[in-house]
Amino acid sequence: MKTITSIENIYQSGKFGDYQSKNEEKLIKVSEVKNLFICQVVKYKNLKIDITNKNIDGLNLPKELKTCTNSSTRILWIGPENWLVTSLKKDLLLEINNNFNSNEFAVTDLSHSRAVLEIEGELSNEVIKKGSPLNINDLKEGNCANTVYNGITVTIDFIKDETKTVRFFALRSFGESLYESLTDACLEYGYIAK
Amino acid sequence: MLHIKCPYCGIRSQKEFAYGGDATVKRPKLNSEVSDKEWDDFVYMRKSPRGKHTELWHHISGCRQWFKAQRDTTTHEIFETAKINEEIK
Repeated sequence: MKTITSIENIYQSGKFGDYQSKNEEKLIKVSEVKNLFICQVVKYKNLKIDITNKNIDGLNLPKELKTCTNSSTRILWIGPENWLVTSLKKDLLLEINNNFNSNEFAVTDLSHSRAVLEIEGELSNEVIKKGSPLNINDLKEGNCANTVYNGITVTIDFIKDETKTVRFFALRSFGESLYESLTDACLEYGYIAK
Repeated sequence: MLHIKCPYCGIRSQKEFAYGGDATVKRPKLNSEVSDKEWDDFVYMRKSPRGKHTELWHHISGCRQWFKAQRDTTTHEIFETAKINEEIK
């Protein structure tokens, strides 16, 4: 079965905005991240269990506003005892279900319920500033934050400081609005949609 | 715009929060006899104080946690925030 993302029909590749007479390396790169396994892991409230020895794909569960990452998987803190797992490994859900007792944790597969967009480039911070009230000076590689972008609730994952790379997660139904908001914000600087 | 300190995420813009009402209202005890007036007071009647007020706020576009905040209703200055199970001094 073919999976269709929420912005499949509106996403356009190419160069847009004020890109002429600019070095291509300096332009913002926008891309949709597809085929990502996404799941939410929540520890039930008032349950006193030690989570320090819990791990997913060899990664411990991160603390406030932090992420843990390896070559295939990222774990984002999205609230107290609440994590978002993203991975290139499609079969990770099986491992999580085996390691996390269903009486202690709620594990929900969200792979088809999120729109994921990535922006890359030195001016990525400027794009975030245009729509979000977040103080991004405090947020570096390895951080993540839930916030709003032009009124859309998003999770922002700060992936890399070098060639500033940031990933936005929004509810699938907000995918189109988020795509329009981000690409509009990029127009001033010029962007390449991969 | 207000800046509110979420006990979990730190200082964030008011845009990310939703107001949740008076934090001092106590629900009548379960299984106890409750008069219509007591129930009416609990559900509807609210004070409108001038000055310090302890309120509930929800970090709805952030960590989605409820917490308490003490705010001056005249100046909007926020003196303190605390987790829902903590007391504000």
